[in-house]
Amino acid sequence: MTDAELDFEVDPEDLEGWAPAAREIGGPSLVVDHLDITYRVFGGKKLGTSDESSSRRLRRVVGRGSSHVGAVQQVRAVRDVTFVARHGESIGIVGINGSGKSTLLRAVAGLIPPTKGSVYVAGEPSLLGVNAVLMGDLTGERNIMIGGLALGLSRAEVQARMKDIVDFAGIGDFVYLPMKAYSSGMGARLRFAISTAATPDILMIDEALATGDASFREKSKARIDEIRQGAGTVFLVSHSLATVQAICSRVLWLHQGRLVMDGPTEEVTAHYKAFVQSLRKQQAKARPKG
Amino acid sequence: MTVSPSKAEAAARAGGGGETPASLLPAPIVSDVTSEHLRQVALGAGLQPMGVLPPLRQYLRDLWARRTFTWELASSKAYARNRNNYLGQAWSVLTPLLNAIVYIIVFGIILKTTRGVDNAIGFILVGTFMFRFFELCVSGGGKSIRGNTSLVRAIRFPRAVLPVSVVLAELVTLGPAIVVMLVVTYLSGLGEFSEYAYVPVSWHWLLLPVAVVLLAVFNVGCAFVMARWVAKAPDVQNLIGFAMRFLMYGSGVIFSIQHYVGNEVIQTILERQPVAVYLELTRACVLDEPTIPLTWQTWAWGVGWAVVFAVGGFLYFWRGEERYGRD
Repeated sequence: MTDAELDFEVDPEDLEGWAPAAREIGGPSLVVDHLDITYRVFGGKKLGTSDESSSRRLRRVVGRGSSHVGAVQQVRAVRDVTFVARHGESIGIVGINGSGKSTLLRAVAGLIPPTKGSVYVAGEPSLLGVNAVLMGDLTGERNIMIGGLALGLSRAEVQARMKDIVDFAGIGDFVYLPMKAYSSGMGARLRFAISTAATPDILMIDEALATGDASFREKSKARIDEIRQGAGTVFLVSHSLATVQAICSRVLWLHQGRLVMDGPTEEVTAHYKAFVQSLRKQQAKARPKG
Repeated sequence: MTVSPSKAEAAARAGGGGETPASLLPAPIVSDVTSEHLRQVALGAGLQPMGVLPPLRQYLRDLWARRTFTWELASSKAYARNRNNYLGQAWSVLTPLLNAIVYIIVFGIILKTTRGVDNAIGFILVGTFMFRFFELCVSGGGKSIRGNTSLVRAIRFPRAVLPVSVVLAELVTLGPAIVVMLVVTYLSGLGEFSEYAYVPVSWHWLLLPVAVVLLAVFNVGCAFVMARWVAKAPDVQNLIGFAMRFLMYGSGVIFSIQHYVGNEVIQTILERQPVAVYLELTRACVLDEPTIPLTWQTWAWGVGWAVVFAVGGFLYFWRGEERYGRD
């Protein structure tokens, strides 16, 4: 865990008008029932070198007999998590690296089947992640088409929204170039624009808002509010507490795959902040002075 | 800890979270709400359970609803394949042709394994082109789930789209290759090449697309099976190459089974197994070999294998639907 990954610094211009708007909270849109997720990882060797021992503890080998043949490891990424989300809620998920945030998000989106427990959901969730690369060899235009069709839009609907999507992402003529030529920021913005093109019932955002300048953040914030207004539920995983505070009304704190806190944003972020700061102090102490 | 908006949530947190002073880390929230209660709450609010095998009818309907997506994915894949070369799309014709030329030189001209065949060039050309189509579909089908993990984990859609689009992409690429195959086959039998029999342009050629589509349907079935196997155990991908080599020699891609296999039982089995059936079918459409007549029997076998594999493969793939993307 480096300082860059934990960004407490509140950029005042980013936060202006960013307080999560109070909104009608409706009935349950998502029920997570005693969820356990265990990953199989192939060919991994034992993880955890000295400098990342605390953050990677979770990924430790369960079966220690790691050899070069049959090196399959079980990773218990999420353990016994239970919560209920409601229509119109925006929920942040915080936790240090390897605490299972992204895995929880994917499981809730129905992309990873639960090992134990179940997930109940209203409508079709859509996950927006930084790694959701469509096809790097193809132009942005083609990727918009593929992404839109995958989300269940028709060809005509995608074409009708093409201009909006390009404008929203702010990529201009780059839309005619292969996506592998894009900067990471451009790619992330385009993915956000594609994912939100079909107003999803549940939108999940994994670290994607970290990219982009203030004006793009403002646009995405407006888009998220729109989705919430349409009785959607928004999930956000972010290392930036400022972003979480700005967008979310409720926060889940995960630690080593377990849910350790669930409550209003101010309360949970305050506790989490204190925890991370003490953790940092402890690490600074442990670090040999050079 | 907090004022909860509902009973279910309050109960869900009942076990929950005082801080342990030393680490400032709250104890994990262990919910004591029973799964049954949560189920009631969820179903009461009209929510659907996730990660549960979708009913077959609904799955088929979803798959049909994503047909434009499947096609877009296939055509994009077919187009993207050769974008990194100077010759670009020409490679989709050059690769199978060069492949066939190697076999023609080694087996047709030097080793002469095609004894009993009037036009060895046409025989090997059709054999290698069709077998390559089959081979690419199977290995592509194997990779279709595993190679698209990011897409699978990003968007929910019926996963059967992926193996189907692999076969469609191969089919799209095969189109121009077939034209080249026919032209070269025709040229091989012209005039001075006294060694190779003349291949007339006949109305049989019109039946070739039908035979190719049957082969493609069969390939879809195989791709479904491979996709699930490789998703379950990636090691299978490494075995595909060996299985393919075995099938290649067992299907008479570069020699005539009839001419080489003496034992009648083995010969019948080898000739009636699906890959050999499709090779015979496509050869009978293109070539004018007295030993490879175009019979109703062969067509029946071709249709039969296609239906059996497509239906069986689809059901097998569907049964694993909720497991894809796990690893």
